[in-house]
Amino acid sequence: MLYITKNNLSNLLEIIQKDYDIFVPVKRENNRFYKRYDPSMKFSEDEKLADENTIVLGEVRAFEPLKVFYNRAREIVADGFKAELPRTNPKPFCIVGAKACDLKGFKIQDFVFKEGDFQDPFYIEARENNLIISADCTCALDTCFCSTVDVKPYPEKDFDLNLSQVSGGFIAQAGSQKGQALIDKNPSLFGEAMDRAVAEMEEQRKRVTADVRKNIRQNSIPSQDKYEGIIQKNYDSPIWDEEAKTCVECGACNTICPTCHCFLLYDQMSEERMERLRVWDSCMIKDFAKVAAGVNPRPWLWMRLRNRFEKKFDFFPKQSGIYACTGCGRCITACPAKIDIRKVLQRLVKDVQKQPV
Amino acid sequence: MSKNNPYRPIETEVLDVITETPTIKTVKMKPKEEIIFKTGQFVELTIPGAGEAPFTPSSRPWLKDKMEVTVMQVGKVTERIHQLKKGETVGVRGPYGNGYPLEEFLGKELLVVGGGCGFAPLRSLMYEIFEKSKEFKKLFFRGGCKTPKDFLYKKETAEWAKRDDIDVVLTVDTLDGGNGEWKGKVGLVTTVLDGIKMDKKNGIAVVCGPPIMMKFTTKKLIEMGFKDSNIYLSMERNMSCGIGKCGHCRIGPYYVCKDGPVFRYNDIKDFPDVWD
Repeated sequence: MLYITKNNLSNLLEIIQKDYDIFVPVKRENNRFYKRYDPSMKFSEDEKLADENTIVLGEVRAFEPLKVFYNRAREIVADGFKAELPRTNPKPFCIVGAKACDLKGFKIQDFVFKEGDFQDPFYIEARENNLIISADCTCALDTCFCSTVDVKPYPEKDFDLNLSQVSGGFIAQAGSQKGQALIDKNPSLFGEAMDRAVAEMEEQRKRVTADVRKNIRQNSIPSQDKYEGIIQKNYDSPIWDEEAKTCVECGACNTICPTCHCFLLYDQMSEERMERLRVWDSCMIKDFAKVAAGVNPRPWLWMRLRNRFEKKFDFFPKQSGIYACTGCGRCITACPAKIDIRKVLQRLVKDVQKQPV
Repeated sequence: MSKNNPYRPIETEVLDVITETPTIKTVKMKPKEEIIFKTGQFVELTIPGAGEAPFTPSSRPWLKDKMEVTVMQVGKVTERIHQLKKGETVGVRGPYGNGYPLEEFLGKELLVVGGGCGFAPLRSLMYEIFEKSKEFKKLFFRGGCKTPKDFLYKKETAEWAKRDDIDVVLTVDTLDGGNGEWKGKVGLVTTVLDGIKMDKKNGIAVVCGPPIMMKFTTKKLIEMGFKDSNIYLSMERNMSCGIGKCGHCRIGPYYVCKDGPVFRYNDIKDFPDVWD
């Protein structure tokens, strides 16, 4: 295994920066946010004390889901009748510090935007041209529950290069040809990893995995092998109404979710400048499914909450074979009404188990 | 169709706008690039400055350079569509969805039931059916609108009624606002389904209309002996992207834009919100 020091990683980022816009996680209060990299930024020595100018490659996923870079909140997708694609991404980008749950988010977004009879050229371009340097989690938040949905707190695939933070630097592993090329072109930046560093990485992976498991135990979160049929069997359950009672329809759960992809095509209201925008939409908002003549298939909030769970755990997995949840816990933190996906899952599974066979 | 960018509309010239009823107009258009659709598929119509909305063309599918949509004024995009004038520029994307499986209907007895604005997709279907009318065992059309002044395609439907290859009955819910010229029946469309002399066990029924009309027509057809799997419905949902990505038009495990808009009743009957 290869090892790269923090200094050498800075050098590598400067090399990458020639071809890519680089985004790195930095810390603001207790959260990590992506910020455009500039060479004055250094890697944090103590991540707990990190600020907006130090790169934090450990800890956990950033505040934003990665879709902010790929299926952006507001993107011009057509410029009048012009056949050429509107150019919205002048330079490919490199995401540094993506976590394993973020990489699972791609599986869902890829299925939506890359598969089927029609593909989204903007998403595909962003996915093809980008570079993903992922990183192991070095701790778990109390909202982390990735292993219930088959995600480990360290990436094993779907990255170009993965970094596992250890004393003084990182263990580096290539996960694609692009990632291997970074190593091959810059051999002087990498060294052979000492056994001690590899042991440290393995120890850390075990520790964080145990932390996530502890979260799951403490919150009694059922694992995904118990999800089959939980929505259908609870379709008319009072769970939905009870859980939706505090919802304020802000749509934060949708916005923050790495697997939510729904959007609206919005045309600029100017006849001279006919631009069409692909704008994130939220299925929790009342008018989401309403037709122009006024009919609304989901007029009640509880129906829309149920719809959100159907998407995550019923109809989307039926189509794609993947549960549309990464266990990142973002929606738990974001919800002002304290609707907790862990608790809803727990209730759904419990109710199914209570039902007579 | 634009192969590279599924969101781009094709520049389209408005050739004419015909007032069908006080609330419904038909827009005749000529897209600058050929749009070949199958009857029952839909397109997204862009009105610059107003937005986009889905419509199933009401015209002959084999007319490759011209297209018609028949539009009821219900919202802000349709309001602008009703103001369109000859020579204006609009945009069209599509076609999307599955359309009617016409080849599966051939050789069988076929009943087409239309209600109000649901006549629009059905007119396109009827053009196709009449092209191949000899290949059907029997043909029936039952159409209903609210009042005589709301009746769509008066000329065409009157001509269909004169044909000897199809049995046509037209009805209005009430005679309100009529001028005494109405020659058809009076009563809901479900009342003119009784007594149809066709093989209900194996016959096909195609229904298109407002949700409430489709709900009661389907109920009636099942009472009459039609199989769930032989009833074809055109579902209406909020189709924004048209390409199965935006998430708005879901029914059960389906996206109406991709898996519909035409569904067999047995495929959707178990979803509680199917008529909403």
